[in-house]
Amino acid sequence: MNRGGIAFLVMVLPLLLLAACDRERGSSPPPRKGPGMPAYGDAIVAGSIGEPSTLIPILATDSASSDISGLVYNGLVRYDKNLQLEGDLAERWDISRDGLTITFHLRRGVTWHDGGEFTSRDVLYTYRVTIDPKTPTAYADSFRQVLKAEAPDDYTFRVTYARPFAPALESWGMPVLPAHLLEGKDITKSPLSRNPVGTGPYIFRQWVAGQRVVLESNPNYYEGRPYIGRYIYKIIPDSSTMYMELKAGGIDQMGISPIQYQRQTGTAKFASKFNKYRYPAAAYTYLAYNLRNPLFADKRVRQALTSAINKKEIIHGVLLGMGQVAHGPFKPGTWAYNPDVRDFDYNPQRAQALLAEAGWRDRNRDGILVKNGKPFQFTILTNQGNDQRLKSAVIIQYRLKAIGIDVKIRVIEWASFLSQFIDKGNFDAVLLAWTITPDPDIFDIWHSSKTGPKEFNFIRYMNPEVDRLLEQGRSTFDMDERKRCYFRLQEIMAEDQPYTFLYVPDALPVVSARFRGIEPAPAGIGHNFIKWYVPKEEQVY
Amino acid sequence: MRNSFFRQVFWNRFRANRFAMAGALLIVALFLVSLLAPFITPYGPDELDLYHVLMPPSAAHWFGTDDLGRDVLTRVIYGARISLKVGFVAVGIAVAIGTVIGLVSGYYSGHLDNILMRVVDIMLCFPTFFLILAVIAFLEQSIWYIMIIIGLTGWMGVARLVRAEVLSLRERDYVMAVRALGACDARIIFRHILPNALSPVLVSATLGVAGAILTESALSFLGIGVPPPTPSWGNILTAGKEYIEFAWWLTLYPGLAITVTVLAYYLVGEGIRDALDPRLQR
Repeated sequence: MNRGGIAFLVMVLPLLLLAACDRERGSSPPPRKGPGMPAYGDAIVAGSIGEPSTLIPILATDSASSDISGLVYNGLVRYDKNLQLEGDLAERWDISRDGLTITFHLRRGVTWHDGGEFTSRDVLYTYRVTIDPKTPTAYADSFRQVLKAEAPDDYTFRVTYARPFAPALESWGMPVLPAHLLEGKDITKSPLSRNPVGTGPYIFRQWVAGQRVVLESNPNYYEGRPYIGRYIYKIIPDSSTMYMELKAGGIDQMGISPIQYQRQTGTAKFASKFNKYRYPAAAYTYLAYNLRNPLFADKRVRQALTSAINKKEIIHGVLLGMGQVAHGPFKPGTWAYNPDVRDFDYNPQRAQALLAEAGWRDRNRDGILVKNGKPFQFTILTNQGNDQRLKSAVIIQYRLKAIGIDVKIRVIEWASFLSQFIDKGNFDAVLLAWTITPDPDIFDIWHSSKTGPKEFNFIRYMNPEVDRLLEQGRSTFDMDERKRCYFRLQEIMAEDQPYTFLYVPDALPVVSARFRGIEPAPAGIGHNFIKWYVPKEEQVY
Repeated sequence: MRNSFFRQVFWNRFRANRFAMAGALLIVALFLVSLLAPFITPYGPDELDLYHVLMPPSAAHWFGTDDLGRDVLTRVIYGARISLKVGFVAVGIAVAIGTVIGLVSGYYSGHLDNILMRVVDIMLCFPTFFLILAVIAFLEQSIWYIMIIIGLTGWMGVARLVRAEVLSLRERDYVMAVRALGACDARIIFRHILPNALSPVLVSATLGVAGAILTESALSFLGIGVPPPTPSWGNILTAGKEYIEFAWWLTLYPGLAITVTVLAYYLVGEGIRDALDPRLQR
């Protein structure tokens, strides 16, 4: 479930994706009934707003796809519950003294869901297809750093880097694909995108478009058969409907909204049926400006926009206080986070002054700023089904209107949002969220070489110094130097404001109380999913 | 003078219908309130107060506040503007198109009539609501598009009614007389047939307004109607449905507004029909 080094566009807070837990604030009510005996069987139904796009992980950029493929596939390494890298399909690894060569010793006896054996050939294939220029993937870059990849025998895989590459180990958390089913075929047309075959704890069974994805436990899983027999990913595009389903017992797990957390889940009845958890999510929500648009070309304009937005008010009103102000792309409290960086706090006077400096004035006294005869107007796009984002957009619209900017809001269904607007660069501003990966390498999102279609720098942010810092930050193993790079990076971004970084929300997952064995940890609650169980007498499916 | 006599009869009959009068008064009141909205509401329709979200009804906020701390009463009143505007513009478009097609079709009959009526049949085959959904998905969200689309998909009933009236009217002696006097078709249609064919249109338009208001509310409820922050009854309802368990005021008031308004239009529509129907004698 914990995917190394992969950033996702988040639709809603992901259920199982890693999310570090601040112990002070994280709350985990003790189970009210006894723990019961671990038993096989039963099923868990998880609710999701969005539908996966493809189940070939290197082609997917959304969190719904990664929720599923996280259970179907394994990488060579993964993050454990304390966000430390541990072996997954690699039993162990050796790193050469210069840090340039990693030798993975693969686990023996791991089988694909179709019975084939997992070997180094699969890893080599995954590497090759990812760096293939014909493969439309956003994740090629870290593998392109590899100078040489070789598989000396079936259970050894060795990679050599030309230069030190800090996220190297983490990047092998990428799910390994089955070579025997894909080699020599066009991956974009593979039936595996809707019918995946992996090595993971759950075997893909069924995908009913627009309704559900069904997985079944893998009896031959190398870590042992998972207790819960089936995992059903139910697609319900409306969060209040989903919540009613939860209460009616139709689903067992979902991320709830702050309002639901605070006002609707406090009853004894709810507490007897569900456990709720709270910890800062590993994700930040932002308002991104399309820098191809001349409207946002001037840094002062972007600074003014941020100054005109009251982030605290958004957190108070939308998250009911359950979140933190974001000043940059890292999570507060992590080693790469620069606590001294403060971007522009709420100050409408400064916003107006900055806009006036940039030449925007209310010339015709209609309340809307004008420059060169053009009114300051733009549209914020956001995806359907995420109420918090829509509300944030409405608040931003209100605040910007106060300083003379006319904002329209448009809500678009997720799939066409990505394909028609994000991928084509066809937008003014978008309100979205990124996951925050444990390694601070954010090259893919901010480097000027990552502005192509389907790549993550979709706003076309280009700053030579940022490019240099991103390159430098990933090409050393020296933690202090990396820290310096990322600290400086945050200073530049706070000045540049390519995004208005809005907030880091708290993840608020709810799981039916019949599931036991859940251990909240810095990585959230999903890290030991295969150890969750339902005592025999409480099983319902 | 015959004209004013009929008007008097109509008015007397309408006035005697208490339900219809109540509906009419409600509509008048609604118009006044929405016209005077800026003067009678204590808050702005999109004025946020994030430190007072989801407050129950109180002296400061008679209908409570919504999830962004906006005053629900204010938004319901401003929502009335949208609903009335949508109702009238959409029905205006529908009536204009429907009347012209009905007149032409009924007056000329023959092939033209056949073709036009088949077009009507085709249009009626579409599930209108889904047609609207599909069309709106391609357009930018805007209240004008919504009004136009509702209008463009709602004229068939009017066309059929008008055609039926015209079919019988054009055979009347007075039409024959006018034609013998050398009047052109346009004059006959618009001057002599149209005024007599209008009463069923009036009824159908009144009921149509209610329908259009419902359609707009449904579209806004689904999140593809009037874009935020403009309040409309439908989108206030949508915002409220998530909190229905503990913030009933968010769904109750816009819901009541829709119910009462639609009911008022139906009552008036029925009242007009009864008053115009010579067969209904009390």
